[in-house]
Amino acid sequence: MEYLIKNGYVYDPLNNVKGEKMDIAIKNGKIVSPSELSGDAKTIDASGMVVMPGGVDIHSHIAGPKVSAGRIMRPEDHYKVYMRAIPGVRRSGSGKTTPSTYVIGYKYARMGWTTVFEPATPPLETRHTHEELDDIPILDKGCFPLLDSNWFVLEYLQNKDYDRCAAFIGWLMDAIKGYAIKIVDPGVAEAWSLGMGVGLSLDDQIPNYNLTPREIVRGLCKANQMLKLPHPIHVHCNRLGFPGNYVSTLDTMDAVSDLALNQDTPIIHITHVQFTGYAGDSWATLASGGEEIAKYVNNHKHVSLDLGQIVFGDVTTMTADAPFEFVLHHLAPGKWSSTDVEAETSSGIVPYRYKKKNFVNTVQWCIGLEVALLVKDPWRIFPTTDHPNAGPFTSYPTVLAWLMSRKAREKVFEQVNRRGLRKSALQAIDREYDLYEITIITRAAGAKILGLKDKGHLGVGADADVAIYNLNPEKIDFSKDWETFVKAFKRAAYTFKNGEMVVKDGEILRHMYGETYYVKPRVPESLLKTVVEDVKTRFREWYSINFENYVIGDDELRAVKPIQVETTLKG
Amino acid sequence: MFTLITGRTLEQGRTMEIGKFTKDYMDRVAICEINPEDLKKIGVESGSNVKVKTAYGEVVVKAVSSNTTSPGVVFIPMGPWANMVVNPDTQGTGMPNLKGVPCQIEATGEAIPGIYDLLKKISDKTFEAKISKPEVAVSGRSETYSNVVCCFCGCVCDDLEVSVENGKIKSVKNGCAISMAKLLNYDRERAYKPMVRKNGKLVETSLEEALNEAAKILAEAKYPLIYGWSSTSNEAMRHGVYLAELTGGVVDNTSVSCHGPTILGTQQAGVVKATLGQIRNRADLIVYWGCNPVYAHPRHTVRYSAMAKGRFVKGRKERKIVVVDVRPTPTSKIADMFIQVKQGMDYELITALRMAVKDHTIEAPTVAGVPREKILELADMFRSARFGVIFLGMGLTMTSGKGRNLEEAIKLVQDLNEWTKFVLLAMRGHYNVTGTNEVIVWLTGYPYAVDFMLGYPRHNPGITTATDVLIRGDVDAALIVASDPASHFPRKAVEHLAKIPTIVIDPRWSPTASLADVFIPTRYVGIECEGVVYRMDGVPLRAKKLVDPPPEILSDEEVLGKLVEKVEALKLGR
Repeated sequence: MEYLIKNGYVYDPLNNVKGEKMDIAIKNGKIVSPSELSGDAKTIDASGMVVMPGGVDIHSHIAGPKVSAGRIMRPEDHYKVYMRAIPGVRRSGSGKTTPSTYVIGYKYARMGWTTVFEPATPPLETRHTHEELDDIPILDKGCFPLLDSNWFVLEYLQNKDYDRCAAFIGWLMDAIKGYAIKIVDPGVAEAWSLGMGVGLSLDDQIPNYNLTPREIVRGLCKANQMLKLPHPIHVHCNRLGFPGNYVSTLDTMDAVSDLALNQDTPIIHITHVQFTGYAGDSWATLASGGEEIAKYVNNHKHVSLDLGQIVFGDVTTMTADAPFEFVLHHLAPGKWSSTDVEAETSSGIVPYRYKKKNFVNTVQWCIGLEVALLVKDPWRIFPTTDHPNAGPFTSYPTVLAWLMSRKAREKVFEQVNRRGLRKSALQAIDREYDLYEITIITRAAGAKILGLKDKGHLGVGADADVAIYNLNPEKIDFSKDWETFVKAFKRAAYTFKNGEMVVKDGEILRHMYGETYYVKPRVPESLLKTVVEDVKTRFREWYSINFENYVIGDDELRAVKPIQVETTLKG
Repeated sequence: MFTLITGRTLEQGRTMEIGKFTKDYMDRVAICEINPEDLKKIGVESGSNVKVKTAYGEVVVKAVSSNTTSPGVVFIPMGPWANMVVNPDTQGTGMPNLKGVPCQIEATGEAIPGIYDLLKKISDKTFEAKISKPEVAVSGRSETYSNVVCCFCGCVCDDLEVSVENGKIKSVKNGCAISMAKLLNYDRERAYKPMVRKNGKLVETSLEEALNEAAKILAEAKYPLIYGWSSTSNEAMRHGVYLAELTGGVVDNTSVSCHGPTILGTQQAGVVKATLGQIRNRADLIVYWGCNPVYAHPRHTVRYSAMAKGRFVKGRKERKIVVVDVRPTPTSKIADMFIQVKQGMDYELITALRMAVKDHTIEAPTVAGVPREKILELADMFRSARFGVIFLGMGLTMTSGKGRNLEEAIKLVQDLNEWTKFVLLAMRGHYNVTGTNEVIVWLTGYPYAVDFMLGYPRHNPGITTATDVLIRGDVDAALIVASDPASHFPRKAVEHLAKIPTIVIDPRWSPTASLADVFIPTRYVGIECEGVVYRMDGVPLRAKKLVDPPPEILSDEEVLGKLVEKVEALKLGR
């Protein structure tokens, strides 16, 4: 099918298009020049509407063993929120904070998002993650393997054998179809295996290893640079969820600053920074460390951030930071799940509710927004909710409205804990994001930091992933009329995925599947051979499955999109 | 009056894999283990026939003297004979009372009924064995495969070595007794042609006709049951969920009658787990509670737990082993401590342990038949372990309390994490019961017993569970895939299954196949085709294809894919 999207206000930051009236042409799943369309092209009248690339989410827990563990332990999350099947059009599903796979795909697409990455998968169970990703309709996707407590990584780093560490990661990414290096409370899973690791700091020693979290972060950052992976190391900092932890966050960012080679692109991505942006020395004295973090980011180009913005209401917290979930189990007694994965990682899950009148929750809500509003460069800040930890991804339109409208924020100011509100600079900030900046943080910058060259823009040759919203930027003052923005962003007027119209008037039109991205770093043969032999020798001792059954074949996934990467490794 | 318990045995598992229509199977399963003292009391000699009577039915089986069975308790291995007398009440959990049923036992001159005799008692359908001689694929390749993924129990061992000669499996290395029995005998009780019941008899037909008939049954049904799955791949399971959605039926897997209650416990409390490798590498205290891996998961102790050599804990000597069960088992023989709990009183014992762990005073001198001092000693062992694990079996899920037992066990482990590192793991039975639970949960939001009557997924154990919809007679058609409920569901459920149009898709002939109205033979996952399966701890593995399938036989996934198309055509008018 060919389409001509006519007369829309086009927002395409990667091509410097700032809301100009333009036509966008779609043919064979790609954006083409309008002159290439045949007479059969269908015209979409987008006059008075906004046209953007499809949304790109770099951090949302949508698939894998812990997500399903969350679903299993929370039937109550599914009773009231469900989607009916429309025979022949869409499948059914259920769940609010831990929705089933079809619901995830449909709800993202309804908001105009078309690419989403799962940011934490245990390598041993990544076959499971891919099975779930395969069953998420419409979206393109990928996943980040957890590597900070992987025994091979720890051994190589302990021996300062960075070449082999990088070669191992290169092999692993290809073997289990991963996309980027994920670090969660570096080294914590090894400590948690001994029932330790609560409040692990950047310079503490990891049990059984002569290593500190700092060395793990630096080592993996070096490996990432050697492999030249498209995405920087994706780091959940130590001491997440503890008052005073903004210092750890600053230290973690600074721990790799000397590795930055004056390039424009970040070499470390700090994820859900709200959870590691706390000043104060107890819950009673909690305050925002957001200003300090924003100041650092404004002065250092090697860092990018995503928010983990709190949205008031029910959530399901789930993270590979198992000791923190154990702590949260005490703060919010009730259900608690935890799983250890041999030789690699661990995880925990606790249901939680953020309350407006709660002092701590109010401070948390302020921190995310404060950081987003104080960081000047929109290319290095991402408005995530760390779905489903700080809020479900379906709250994105609301989060964006808070960024776009001081009035929207003021409305919340009236409802939240007064004392909590004074613990950050948020009330003093007047900045409001414009629609162009919103386009950057929700699409263009995501595609850029993931290194997806055909995503996040509408230039000729880009993937035809397009969102059209019923919003007239010439008529609407988002600062005042943010509710209209929320309404339009909740249900896109149209969403196109790979040139197919999948959403119209906010409703799903068809069930189809996207592709799974993974990286294939080119590791020199002799080095690869040495490392694989090394892994094989110890695999039998360390793992309960055989090496050969660990590797995932391309044919096991519905549709793969391998990204070849030239590394700097030498044989 | 005795108390009847049922469960797995090694011989039950082994002979089942050779064939349920063999004399061997009947000899091992149509038995009742009774304490010698009790035998004397009722005046029955070991080896003679007895009639077991409960409020739910009666059955004739062979009495077998057993020292490990406590006085007052009798044991019948799970299977068609036990089903005649177990209590079908699921008490709102989906799990019938398969353990702890009051029964009477008397000497009888009656013969032990065969499987068909049992089926004839509950249905007027004609039953014929349709087993044919093995058909070997033409190609007849010869090859040796290593790293073979075993598709029998939840251990899913992936280190088998299988030699294939001329298209037939010749030898198996590293396998347990059950795995060898399966791999060397899988083609003994098979039917190779699709069949449809015509004028009361199953007659051979083409795949196309069988599929048409099956699609018609499903499309015309108001509320079909789509059940089984635990012995097939995740790929097949996906089709199963879709069929339930398309037909507005209910989809369920065999967890309803194994670890469904463990899931109910998890829904209440969460769960604290670890993969088997983590346990092997680190656990210095291993508790087997209500499970008997030496019989049911033969390589479990060697590969993953008691005897296994790990990175930090090197083997049996460095571990403490505790077994909690209602009677001594082969597993308790390898234990350092055996705790005999009174049948049906696990909940009390777990609660007492939770109290002891928290230093609360236990006033009763014994709890659930266990002396207070023993409970305190055990609590101390738990707290002083470096890394403890409790493996939970059907001794907890099938007995009274069901999901509550598991909830309490989970909370005990959660409590213990205040002191030390402690995890638990359910000993899942079928090789892919874990995987199919996962597929159902990620597609619908609920892990089993999912109803689509209103066009979206709903889950209400006790209402939407396979056992209950059959026992109550709610469903008006059934699709049974890779499972044999006629052998493992209570009599009342099987009676209704025999009444309604039933489609059976299975690699082998089974009692359930015997009562089918449409039967479609398929390939064995892990022998004749590939497929993704999940181990009991959730580690996903890809099963291999070892031999070529018999001619014209497709996989479950392929057959179900075709069935989906046909049901879609009828339902959506495509």
